Amino acid sequence: MTSAGDGNTTVKLPAEALQGQRTSSAYRLALGDAGVQAAVILFLCVLWETVTRLDLVHPFLLPPLSQVLQRLWEDILSGTVFVDLALTLYRALSGFFIAAAIAIPLGVLMSRSAALRWFFDPLISVGFPMPKIAFLPIFILWFDIFDTSKIIMVAFSCFFPIVTATFAGTSAVDKWPVWSARSLGAKDREVLWEVVLPLASPQIITGLQIALPVGMITTVVTEMLMGGRGIGGTMITAGRFADSVGVFTGIVEIAFLGFVVIRSLEYIRGRLLVWHPESRR
Amino acid sequence: MTMAAIQDRSHADSGTGIVIDGVSHSYGSRHGSGVLALDNINLDIRENEFHALLGPSGCGKSTLLYLIGGFIPIQQGTIATRKGKVTAPGPERSIVFQNFALFPWKTVLQNIVYGLKKQGIGAAEAESRAREFINLVQLKGFENAYPSQLSGGMQQRAAIARTLAVDPEILLMDEPFGALDAQTRRVMQEELRAIWQRSRKTVVFVTHDVHEAVFLADRISIMSARPGRIQHVIDVNLPQDRGEEILERPEFLELSERIWRLVREQAISASRGEH
Ligand SMILES: Nc1ncnc2c1ncn2[C@@H]1O[C@H](COP(=O)(O)OP(=O)(O)OP(=O)(O)O)[C@@H](O)[C@H]1O
Ligand SMILES: [Mg+2]
Repeated sequence: MTSAGDGNTTVKLPAEALQGQRTSSAYRLALGDAGVQAAVILFLCVLWETVTRLDLVHPFLLPPLSQVLQRLWEDILSGTVFVDLALTLYRALSGFFIAAAIAIPLGVLMSRSAALRWFFDPLISVGFPMPKIAFLPIFILWFDIFDTSKIIMVAFSCFFPIVTATFAGTSAVDKWPVWSARSLGAKDREVLWEVVLPLASPQIITGLQIALPVGMITTVVTEMLMGGRGIGGTMITAGRFADSVGVFTGIVEIAFLGFVVIRSLEYIRGRLLVWHPESRR
Repeated sequence: MTMAAIQDRSHADSGTGIVIDGVSHSYGSRHGSGVLALDNINLDIRENEFHALLGPSGCGKSTLLYLIGGFIPIQQGTIATRKGKVTAPGPERSIVFQNFALFPWKTVLQNIVYGLKKQGIGAAEAESRAREFINLVQLKGFENAYPSQLSGGMQQRAAIARTLAVDPEILLMDEPFGALDAQTRRVMQEELRAIWQRSRKTVVFVTHDVHEAVFLADRISIMSARPGRIQHVIDVNLPQDRGEEILERPEFLELSERIWRLVREQAISASRGEH
């Protein structure tokens, strides 16, 4: 192998240097974002506390934040908050993963097989806009009044955004990388795993990111309708006992859980899609 | 060209040439009302030949390469290599696409290693070979960069390295140096010529640059404006060893001038045809 000529005048910047610059500026940007977000949340908290302290709202309708936080602290000390959070998280994530495990392969298969597309496309078109919670009585009849029907309810509601995004992503992949792989000797099956899925991954992950909050909402609503433990169930119980501090404690817990779960998925997206231009603003 | 001659070639088992026989291609409609891109192409590319394709934009050069590569189905006529009729892509006919077509989720190094692994080469060996080709195309320092972090010319060089690394018998190149600056372009041309002389493969090289075609090729086909036909096939009678000095030789300049006039004719008739 001869080496390239010495007369080469192209300017070369080491990629590491470029990368270093970019990450540090992106880091600063992200820190700035986080700062603004924290400030907004802090402002709302102060507003909440002030409004209630000044007796502008009846404390039964909106208890002071400090009382809510105090209740939260007691629940943390007694451990009940962890039981609720864990139960809700378990139901939401189980449903979400079951949905992903079915919807991603189905979306891929639909993009490959016309027969499957003809069969499932109308079903999905009809099912997607339907209020999924309306199926809850059916699941209760078919399964139980405990976790199974809750998790199936969540999976059912997560299924549609994931299958739709996967199908759209895998059926519209750029032909050029596919042709490259074929030209380098990849077989059809290998092209699916090695080219189509990575190319479609941004869209599949977007589908997951849409499904996850849907799953969280469905979990809490289902818990509220069916009672028992979990954040939704505990809130409904608090409501029945006219315990407004308890209700608002539930709201704070939901906000916290939602924030953590959604940010985690965003983080995973950034990790998986380092190659994508979106990952370096 | 007689049928008998074509038959002979396609059955010769030592040849890695390409026999293109009566190939036409139209886009858009299957019922014949679409755009006719190629019209009855007959071309016999010899084994180990460096063959350049020149022609006005839109005359079907890329289409012809895609047909040889087996990426789009042949509608009419046949294309045959030593392995028989072309029906699908294969690693013995590797291509550098006009738009690079790198894998965006793989780094430069991973892009090149991918092709080598597909040839059954082990990971360590594949990586060291990939690094050699990265050096060859002057991308040292960018092994771990993703395509979206590279300039157009750098992506093009990565694509060239990926295809050269798998060492195909037939190398199809679609304006592979189109995005490069004049300096880099010259270096890459000399490298390609040297690689071809060393490894003796059959190259089909599409370009717009007459000097590039004359510098690199043994024979040059000039295509007509759409629908593409082979208008002239011209032998380049220049020494096998070609360095920079050849660019000043009278034979080189004369031949370039002649070919340039033929290409211009086609381009002019193309612009007339469009009004
Ligand atoms: N996918 C397509 N669908 C419809 N028409 C197409 C398609 N690809 C190419 N064509 C038509 O076929 C003709 C030949 O295209 P092709 O890309 O082969 O030309 P080319 O010679 O490679 O041009 P250039 O030098 O600009 O790259 C063009 O005029 C174009 O209109
Ligand atoms: Mg082209």
